Amino acid sequence: MTDAPGRLPARSGEWINRDQVVEFSFEGKTYRGLAGDTVTSALVAAGVRTLGRSFKYHRQRGPLSVANHDVNVMVDDGARTNLRGDVLPIHDGLTLKAVNTEGGLGSDRNRHINRLAKFLPVGFYYKTFHRPRRLFPFWERRIRALAGLGTIKRDAPRAETPKRYDFCDVLVIGAGPAGLSAALAAASRGARVVVVDENARAGGSLTHQWAGDDGAAGIRDELLRRVAAESLIDMRMSTTAAGYYADNWVALVDDVRLTKMRARQVVVASGCFEQPAVFHGNDLPGVMFGSGVQRLLHRYAVRPFRRAVVLVANSDGYRVALDLIAAGIEVATVADLRPEGETGPLATLVEQAGVTVRRGCGVYEAMADKQGELCAAVLAPVNAQGELDASRGERLECDGLVMSVGWAPAGNLLYQAGTRMDYADHVQQFVPAELPDGVHAAGRVNGVYELQQQLVDGERAGLAACVALACFSGQIPEQPRHEGASPSHPYPIFDHPKAKNFVDFDEDLQLKDLLNACQEGFDNIELMKRFSTVGMGPSQGKHSNMNAVRILARVRKQSIMATGTTTARPYFHPVPLKMLAGRSFNPERRTSLHERHRLLGASFTHVGDWLRPEYYRSSERRRDDLVVEEVRSVRNGVGLIDVGTLGKIEIRGPDAATFLERIYTGRFANTKLGRMTLALRCDESGVVTDDGIAARFGDDHFYVTASTTRTGAVVQDMQHWLVRWKLDAVVINATGHFAAMNLAGPYSRHVLSELTELDLDTAQLPFGGVAMAEVAGVPARIMRVGFVGELGYEIHVPAQFGGFVWDRVMQAGKRHAIRPFGVEAQRVLRLEKGIPIVGTDSDGLTNPLEMDMEWALAMDKPLFIGQRSLEILRKRPSERRLVGFCLPVGHDGARIRESHLVIRDGDICGRITSVAFSPTLNRIIGLAFVAPDQAAADTRIDIRGDGGGMVAATVTKLPFYDPEDLAQAGAAALKEVS
Amino acid sequence: MKIIHCPVNGPRPMQEFAYGGAFREMPDPATASDTEWGDYVFNRDGAPGVKREWWYHLASGVWFVAERDTLRDRFLRTYLYNEGEQPHD
Amino acid sequence: MPLGLLRFALNKKHPEPRMFREPDALKSSYDVVIIGAGGHGLACAYYLARDHGITNVAVLEQGYIGGGNTGRNTTIIRSNYLTPEGVRFYDESVRLFKDLSEDFDLNLFYSERGHFTFAHTDSALNTMRWRAEVNKHMGVDSEVVDRETIHEACPELDLDCGGHLPIMGALYHAPGAVARHDAVAWGYGRGADKRGVEIHQKTRVNDIRVEGGKVVGVETDKGFIHTGKVVSAVAGFTPRITEMVGLRTPITIQPLQACVTEPLKPWLDTILVSATLHVYVSQSSRGELVMGSALDPYELHSTRSTLDFTESLSGHLLDMFPFLSEIKVNRQWAGMADMTPDFAPVMGLTPIDGLYLDAGWGTWGFKATPVCGKTMSYTVANDRPHELIEPFSLSRFENYQLVGEKGAASVGH
Repeated sequence: MTDAPGRLPARSGEWINRDQVVEFSFEGKTYRGLAGDTVTSALVAAGVRTLGRSFKYHRQRGPLSVANHDVNVMVDDGARTNLRGDVLPIHDGLTLKAVNTEGGLGSDRNRHINRLAKFLPVGFYYKTFHRPRRLFPFWERRIRALAGLGTIKRDAPRAETPKRYDFCDVLVIGAGPAGLSAALAAASRGARVVVVDENARAGGSLTHQWAGDDGAAGIRDELLRRVAAESLIDMRMSTTAAGYYADNWVALVDDVRLTKMRARQVVVASGCFEQPAVFHGNDLPGVMFGSGVQRLLHRYAVRPFRRAVVLVANSDGYRVALDLIAAGIEVATVADLRPEGETGPLATLVEQAGVTVRRGCGVYEAMADKQGELCAAVLAPVNAQGELDASRGERLECDGLVMSVGWAPAGNLLYQAGTRMDYADHVQQFVPAELPDGVHAAGRVNGVYELQQQLVDGERAGLAACVALACFSGQIPEQPRHEGASPSHPYPIFDHPKAKNFVDFDEDLQLKDLLNACQEGFDNIELMKRFSTVGMGPSQGKHSNMNAVRILARVRKQSIMATGTTTARPYFHPVPLKMLAGRSFNPERRTSLHERHRLLGASFTHVGDWLRPEYYRSSERRRDDLVVEEVRSVRNGVGLIDVGTLGKIEIRGPDAATFLERIYTGRFANTKLGRMTLALRCDESGVVTDDGIAARFGDDHFYVTASTTRTGAVVQDMQHWLVRWKLDAVVINATGHFAAMNLAGPYSRHVLSELTELDLDTAQLPFGGVAMAEVAGVPARIMRVGFVGELGYEIHVPAQFGGFVWDRVMQAGKRHAIRPFGVEAQRVLRLEKGIPIVGTDSDGLTNPLEMDMEWALAMDKPLFIGQRSLEILRKRPSERRLVGFCLPVGHDGARIRESHLVIRDGDICGRITSVAFSPTLNRIIGLAFVAPDQAAADTRIDIRGDGGGMVAATVTKLPFYDPEDLAQAGAAALKEVS
Repeated sequence: MKIIHCPVNGPRPMQEFAYGGAFREMPDPATASDTEWGDYVFNRDGAPGVKREWWYHLASGVWFVAERDTLRDRFLRTYLYNEGEQPHD
Repeated sequence: MPLGLLRFALNKKHPEPRMFREPDALKSSYDVVIIGAGGHGLACAYYLARDHGITNVAVLEQGYIGGGNTGRNTTIIRSNYLTPEGVRFYDESVRLFKDLSEDFDLNLFYSERGHFTFAHTDSALNTMRWRAEVNKHMGVDSEVVDRETIHEACPELDLDCGGHLPIMGALYHAPGAVARHDAVAWGYGRGADKRGVEIHQKTRVNDIRVEGGKVVGVETDKGFIHTGKVVSAVAGFTPRITEMVGLRTPITIQPLQACVTEPLKPWLDTILVSATLHVYVSQSSRGELVMGSALDPYELHSTRSTLDFTESLSGHLLDMFPFLSEIKVNRQWAGMADMTPDFAPVMGLTPIDGLYLDAGWGTWGFKATPVCGKTMSYTVANDRPHELIEPFSLSRFENYQLVGEKGAASVGH
């Protein structure tokens, strides 16, 4: 158990609860922190300085930003990995280890890689390991094993998180002074405001940078009081605005969920990221950002070190020095990179505290002790060229080194929104130059640094949002302009013969790596990123992109503006897959007869979104045998299949017939009432897209079916043509309105006649006839169909009566041993009848000519979709033809399946589209595409079956079963049901 | 997610809509040459610009015409085919 | 540690020259002008110089080398296509890919991982078998495998996909590989540059001048260049080029998005694709899961990202790998895919004398990079299409001779 030597006495505004001690472990040791602590603050309080290892060189790393702007502290809690210690709250029992170590943080066996750094220049992996080729897999395994950070948890459960849709007038991103000011201004004009901030508490820079200033503390308390009192402001802390998407659609991520916020206006007051000075050893544990130190001091009352050197290039650094002094930390010196130093009163205050301020002085190198942690800094004066004069270096002992040399705007969301950002010399940063409609920027991200100015800028942005919302029309304050010295140094980057001066801490990239990338020709910002990987790590360049741009600009001897930046893409911080995924939602559709099928032992199969019975487990027999039984029952007796998933489309209106004439290939204008016709559809290129039947129930009323999986698309397309042709008709997708079943088999008429008054005699209701009548007292549409090649009736009834009618049909069929059958039996039955299924026996390029369906094309009509293309295709030699084939009875050669190829003279000339054992014909039959000259009946074709075995088949005239169509005509002799 | 203004249903999120391709007049099949017809079937004006397009509101089955900047993904105008300005090519 | 790295430690100065020169200004004329310094354009330049001795070549790039779809794809290389012409073409590409690291002396991290395309339905399984049969016929290593085989190769995968659409089997393509996409462009660029080709980045083509049906030059933002041969290898920008010369094509542009997770220690060795769930995923050598999905369903000439993309992709990925729930998506991006009606490219000559198209790559361009360079350079040098690309001519559309890749109507990457 370790105590907390770094914990400071209580201070106002701290985020910790001193009454609640939390015990957790890190790298096998137990620590005590306080409720409100993050992993980083608790460990630093406990005196731990090394909190992680770096990605490439496995260098020791300590806290840097304490704001999740770097990934020096990445931990694994056993269930999750790559967690950011800077912002991960501790709780009792939390058990952590650092990621990316082999053998633990202290004794990481990969730490020796650090000493090999000079062998591993930028992009080294492009330069070797590929010769000899056979050894590459070996090297690749080694490299892959070294890469990566955390380790997956194979047994972690699927986490299902909720999602939320939300709306607001103004979304303010960032609860700092500018953001809160914007929120108050907007709410005061009646706008509904949501404020989000990734931090646990509101206040932004008022909770760290300005927290040491008594006046600022007052402003903070006042802002927070007013915000709390404003009912129109909804404050959401610990909520990250992770990405900006079109039309002010912003992804908000908190601990629980993803919220998709539609904001009428967005104010980005996201502040900025502190940027490192680049010098030798700038990554040693003990080297921190000024703002990082302030977060520890003010939020967690944690002192990260005892004696510090403070490297500054702005006023902020002096404030840090004063905060350190106030916290009892010895400030060894303040080294100001600027020759002129600080011009305001802050330098005086620091000097009055007895601290030497060295103007025009930088850190030449940071030095490590035996533990690999900071023990001293070598200071050196800055010469006229802006370089450090190492010959005049001076070593100062210190366990802390604070960098406060500049900032980069947290402009990620602004960039994603399409903001043009220009480089502003007076603040040495990119600022918004042209904002998209509905997006505003305020505060530091807008180049405004002084506290009073930030408040004004926030108010301005809030009011500007209100103007856009038309809830304010008064005067808007001018955008404040930063006065005085720039908060950012133009080039805080210093060479060192031993390098280890890091630009990108995520990727272990040193100054020379970027210079060498330039030397190799990767000297524009995008190529530099791609070759060096700068900014590609988990923190996405938050602390590295700006310095990379500065380095490149200097190499190219061009302006920062001309150098440009890389594109900022979502996410601001990485977002867990579970948040994006939300709850698993995979809907499936069931017909109104589903429960009947279940009770009958159906084995279901997915057909698109639908579940359909594949076959019924009516006995213990094997699937294939059951299918054969179902087929036989239809052929010899009577069967019943649920066809409710078929698309059912109502087409009504004076132009209904004209419309169908144009949509389908066949004729409809002269279809008689009470008759139906094949409805074959093509697309404009002549490719077959769907088929069904079209039944005419009235002069202006057709009832059309479509394939189960294509109904939505068919209806959509029909409605489109209806609009384009300006025809007077309506198309309604009635699929769900009706239950539908096909009663088929020689005895189907016997069964149905018991349930309806309708005269089922062929003279009255012939094959292809349709009628409206009652079935079991339920209004029904009855269609005499022949899809399975038997006498059969499709019965469509309102969906709510489906179960009732099914039951009555099954009851009436008992005498004839009626049996429900599934899609597998239906597939065999229709194959025996030689009926191709669009999508199974055709593909994305098949035209009706190739399917031998020229008979279904009314080419002399004025117009149908695909007609003109078919005219062209008709003139061309066809390349394939769909034919039936069969194998000899008792075939015992290689098994053939769908997609097996038809081979002739060693070339592919076709493939099987459907194949099945036909119980009726007692042999294997199928449909296949073959070369046109193989299409004649009795032609021998050779199929390459399983294992490459060749199978000879014979092209067979279709249909295989009942070529005289006696059965479906109801003219076949009845057989006894076995 | 983008918002699209359906002429019937007002502003709705894009996921409720389907793209129906560019607005194109079908040439008269009786007079078009095979080449002209093939051009109509296959070729498209693929370059970016403000284009007239078909869009469909899935939930209500409404087809309408949209004028959209395909470079910036901005909908400039939407209208029903038979109510809006008569589109012409 | 390979000895090759010694020189970096032994040299005081970084011992590497520029991979590509930065030419001063455009010359007034070139034998060939290639528009687009992505993998395809640079490969064409490379083989023009290396195999055909044509070195007076300028590659013009409005952005930077490899900045388009070359650097935006998910780096998958495979040849398990559906049509014989597709298989033949991509198989040659795979063959060339395997030699590239050594040819370039640049490690492309060409890594054979094995490629599974899942079937969740009977009809998908039939399509997989179709591809497997055609592949085997063409001598390409593909086979339909069952659930057990998939489980052995990737034990982490939930074959039932959470109970929703269980995987029934897969097309397994052992040669399926990934490679460092950027480096492919750099390698070709370096090789072309070394042989005298000029690569002009940040040089925009504003017009192509055609006289009497023949290309005579290119108008750029840096002046006019005389040339009789122009190769357009600009993927998502193709319609802008063809519009300059009034060339009608079926190419339309749709965004294709992708994303990566944070780096993880290696666990996924294979490349997995589910067209039904709209997911493809592999793990890069950096440890990131690289993931993609289906095309965005409408025309757009922009590389914007959408939230819907990561939402739906994440949901389906977790159907396959529930334990990844806490893993984080780091970054998403998009490219502009140049789609054709038959999901096959448009390559070769055009009705305009001296204008050559390398386009219509949809979502498959990266894996074709080497073979495109080979065949396009041949086509340009000989002014007749290389036999491997004959089936992909622009004229196939007006002739209603589409390539059957759409036959399967399957999504593949």
